[in-house]
Amino acid sequence: MFAENLRHSYDRRRFALDGVSFTVQRGEVFGLLGRNGAGKSTLIKAMTTLIRPTSGTLRVLGLDPAHEGQKIRERIGVVQQGESFDFTTVQRNLDLYGMLWGIPKAERIRRREQLLEHYGIADIRKRRAFDISGGQKRRVQVAREFMHDMDILFLDEPTVGLDVIMRRTLLDSVREEVRRGLTVVFTTHNLEEADYLCDRAAVIDEGRILVLDSIANLKRLYGGKKTIDITIGNGEADGFFSTLRERLGAQTTVTVSGRSAVILTDDPKEALSKIAEVSQSRGAQLEWLNVRQNTLEDVFLRSVGHGGGNNHNGAA
Amino acid sequence: MALPNVLRLVYRNILVNTDPGSLIILIGLPGLYLVFFGYGFQSVASSGGSGQTYLTYLTPGIMAFQVVMAGTVGGSMLWADRRWGMLSQLLMGPFTRLEYLFGIMLTSVLFGLGGSAVMLAVAYALIGAVPTQIVALVIIFGSITVGSVFFGGFMLYLAALVKSNTAYNSIQILLIFVVNFASTVFYPLSGRLPVVLRVLFIVNPLTYVSDAVRGAYTNSLTPTDVYHMLVLFVEMVVILFLATRAYMRSDVSYE
Repeated sequence: MFAENLRHSYDRRRFALDGVSFTVQRGEVFGLLGRNGAGKSTLIKAMTTLIRPTSGTLRVLGLDPAHEGQKIRERIGVVQQGESFDFTTVQRNLDLYGMLWGIPKAERIRRREQLLEHYGIADIRKRRAFDISGGQKRRVQVAREFMHDMDILFLDEPTVGLDVIMRRTLLDSVREEVRRGLTVVFTTHNLEEADYLCDRAAVIDEGRILVLDSIANLKRLYGGKKTIDITIGNGEADGFFSTLRERLGAQTTVTVSGRSAVILTDDPKEALSKIAEVSQSRGAQLEWLNVRQNTLEDVFLRSVGHGGGNNHNGAA
Repeated sequence: MALPNVLRLVYRNILVNTDPGSLIILIGLPGLYLVFFGYGFQSVASSGGSGQTYLTYLTPGIMAFQVVMAGTVGGSMLWADRRWGMLSQLLMGPFTRLEYLFGIMLTSVLFGLGGSAVMLAVAYALIGAVPTQIVALVIIFGSITVGSVFFGGFMLYLAALVKSNTAYNSIQILLIFVVNFASTVFYPLSGRLPVVLRVLFIVNPLTYVSDAVRGAYTNSLTPTDVYHMLVLFVEMVVILFLATRAYMRSDVSYE
């Protein structure tokens, strides 16, 4: 998959996609991270041929979505962010979907039974899809997509509403399919999931890719640093954090939110010593102090402008 | 051998629209019209000197009425698929937009033909006689097909344009009422009707479907009926074009 300077506007005023460039390799799990409204779903819609980008170049499976949409759609699977069901039972939803994709009946039944079991929805097979819980609906939607074969699977926030066990089951199933050669484009704002599943990820905000790199590189980018979470219990927070920022110097990032702050530093020992000094001098009591390794969340927060705006665009 | 895409869509459309509730609306309601109106008005309605009973007059009208019901199925399918996310899901699948549209149109036609065949069976049970000549049956079911495509296209056009479910349902109910009763389905066009109603009768495509079906049913088809069906055919092509254009331009995005 290949995109270059992709732009899309719904209203000709604001761009939901604003110069997006990236490549996705075969067999890769590519994550799209971003807040609600960042442009993730618009990008998925463009890649799945549902919308035609306003400008730019896009190739999916080496094909041009504008002219070879059907050839692309025959080889992709999509789990939408919202609900999408036929007004019938869970079992029939799977059956019908398999039929629509031209899966022979015997194979359809075999896959249906396997998927109903695998996703823990066998006991609700006779219930109407619209009558089941939100988590069950997500499971049905994901299970249904595996009724057919595909080269690329687009998962648009597939784990919303799932409990921890089902979330892991889903991610593991995707991993299993990736091992068999499936390419996955996965949007989420759950960074742990991206960390668990993706080979590379792009952080997207306001229609632009802010960071794009392998998960390992993204973490390595900030890997030499550690994060200190701090909350003060009394005293004047603004003054405390202002003094602390001065003492820590420009190499250390301090992101303040009310009485709490996230400090990104190369030298946690030195930073802790400075925190203790400022705390003592200003008579502020430390309510919470925690030193931890950087996570993908830190990368995300920094990328979208909550932590110093250190933009690193590794777009291909 | 795998079915063509359009037929797969038709099969799916039929399966998801043949729940008991939908069938009652599609077939039960016209059937009830036939029984209650047919017998209820028999005693007060004049045969107009033709010697027909009102039930015989009404039967082909109710068969023609199935084209409106079939049209509402088409519009409702597009609306429901958009509302419940299946439109975008299908259009991200192995189908083109046109295949999806033709799937709906063909489903509408099948519902129209199926519904009118059921009405024919009900009429046979009530009257004891139905036309059996091949030509009459071809004209009846040909008219039903053209009418179903026309009203299917019309309702699709509406469904593609209207953005609110409530508005769509309200318009649909109003249209069914007006189209149904300002036509020759229930009573003939007569000089005693107010001018407004007469105009509505004349511009209403259901009048021509109803007249053609009735003409073939009672073996009284006139060249004018055939001419009207040709006009309706042209109108069907126009409305199909408009519906296709509106639908192709409509937003199928999901959230």
